[in-house]
Amino acid sequence: MKMSRRILFNVIAWGLVLAVAFPLFWMIVTSLKPGFELFRRPPTMLPETVTFEHYWRLLSETPFLLYFRNSVILASATTVVVVGIGTLGAYSLVRFRYRGRESLAFLVLFTYLLPSVVLIIPLYLFMVKLGLSNTITSLVIAYTTFALPYALWLLRSFMAGIPEDLESAALVDGASRLGAFRDVILPQLLPGIISTALFTFILAWNEYLYALVLVNSDGARPLTTGVMTMLISAFNIEWSLLMAASVMMSVPLIIVFAFLQSYLTRGFGAGAVKG
Amino acid sequence: MTDVILDQVEKRFGSFTAVHCLDLHIKSGEFVALLGPSGCGKTTTLRMLAGLEFPTSGDIRIGERTVNDVPPGKRDIAMVFQSYALYPHMTVEQNIAYPLKKRGVPLAERGAMVSKVAELLQLDELKDRKPKQLSGGQQQRVALGRALVRDPKVFLLDEPLSNLDAKLRAYMRAELIELHARLGRTMVYVTHDQLEAMTMADRIAIMNEGRLQQLGTPDEVYNCPANRFVAGFIGQPSMNIADGTLDETARFRAGSFEIGLDPERFDTRPGPVALGLRPEAISIGAGPIAARVRVVEPTGHENIIILETDGLGALTARTAVQVRPTVGETVQCGIDADALHLFDGADGRRRNRDDSMVTQTPVGERAKVKESQ
Repeated sequence: MKMSRRILFNVIAWGLVLAVAFPLFWMIVTSLKPGFELFRRPPTMLPETVTFEHYWRLLSETPFLLYFRNSVILASATTVVVVGIGTLGAYSLVRFRYRGRESLAFLVLFTYLLPSVVLIIPLYLFMVKLGLSNTITSLVIAYTTFALPYALWLLRSFMAGIPEDLESAALVDGASRLGAFRDVILPQLLPGIISTALFTFILAWNEYLYALVLVNSDGARPLTTGVMTMLISAFNIEWSLLMAASVMMSVPLIIVFAFLQSYLTRGFGAGAVKG
Repeated sequence: MTDVILDQVEKRFGSFTAVHCLDLHIKSGEFVALLGPSGCGKTTTLRMLAGLEFPTSGDIRIGERTVNDVPPGKRDIAMVFQSYALYPHMTVEQNIAYPLKKRGVPLAERGAMVSKVAELLQLDELKDRKPKQLSGGQQQRVALGRALVRDPKVFLLDEPLSNLDAKLRAYMRAELIELHARLGRTMVYVTHDQLEAMTMADRIAIMNEGRLQQLGTPDEVYNCPANRFVAGFIGQPSMNIADGTLDETARFRAGSFEIGLDPERFDTRPGPVALGLRPEAISIGAGPIAARVRVVEPTGHENIIILETDGLGALTARTAVQVRPTVGETVQCGIDADALHLFDGADGRRRNRDDSMVTQTPVGERAKVKESQ
């Protein structure tokens, strides 16, 4: 009874893993197949001839690298801004006592109650007024608006887990408030900062809708919309190139994930056990 | 001279008053314990001395200086926290060196100073460990080391021993007494444990609900408690206190119990009063009071006996090991009439006339300080 139950669980678990992993596998396989093998019936599971021509074409003949650069700048800048403001904001929410502190923290979450589509047009008009339309900066600001509330809450729960005595001790030991923050709070907050940074980076790296609306010149376009406009037209979809681009888009995330994965899972557990 | 003076210090959090108009003069080199139940304002008082909280009104002086607006790091104090508050990402050595680093002590001197303290506290072997890798007692010593290292004028200790097991606590108590004797620094020690306060402090400030109840030596607070709260709080097992009335002829009555009080020794104005009796002031064997034995607690070197009487209610007596009545038995008890404490029924103040020793609210001290300015 117990044995059969375990087998059943295993089958279900592996089934789920396969369902999630298959598209990724198919993406890699398709990007390595030569054009004539793409639509063969029955399809080949593994490419008969492996080719890197799609990758080469993408790098040499298209503005892929430009988009890639834009995405790196965009995601990094958003991460820096969100983590910077989020850390200081979380510190304020946890350590200082002022009127409306709790309601402020909840109000911040209200931004998630609005569907993001509703916010696009106002935000677009806003950017035009500010003279920022069609710039990477406009996307950094837009992404900050929806990554920051979550970052604030995540960091807040991490911050609440740092005993106040530590900071008091640093103050008595002669540190200024800022010094205590740097010497004692920041090192303790590092796991929280890393998981917040990962979350923000992934969000900014993968975002599509805002990038589509706010930016329409190649100079500022990130990978998501860039690849789409470049390879998908009304009459034709360049499947091989699309898949090659997708692989190269995923690689940075996979690398970052592989190194920082333990921090990320710790981040999702924060606040569950306080203190 | 580093006297620590609180002059009419008050601390409010919104509508809640944590500390009421507190006057306290701690003399240079003195070891003063702030003692009281949780929520009595003792930790708030200590945090105000440290500069981690600011008084709503009143003045705090350390040495010659009024420090109301001086940040904690510039008060020349060191503090040991109940949680030790060791910096988890730093090694023992870095923890102890941190206050030196923040004060700009050159690196070369730092090493020597840290080594000296580490040797004093037997932390030599542990210098490269992180706090996580230390036992509770070791962490405690590191916290102490961090306070000792820069030789501050005043030490503030916030229940530093409460996270240790009983044996280690007794050991560290002795260590701290020795340390105080050796350094001769002013120490303010917050605790809810009367044993710690009684054994270590030169004087004890007993607080309750944000008010100073009594400031006195351990002898004074034990033998001449200023009011009913102090009487009940100090002493283990605590004082027996029975409510009753005094009549015109200075006789105390509580139910069927009756005793005449000497107007020379007590303020015997008639009215509601409470009579206090330490457990050691009750003798079992002969005497006018009939009592039923409810519980016998032998501790090895003495017996604690809980009795039920008609007039005085439940009484706790402390007897020699040989005196060991059986539970349920009725015994005769005597009272040592010289050891009676009388408290006012309305405000709980002490009404014995031997109060020359008692320094309840040190109004006189405040006046003295004002004069010397």
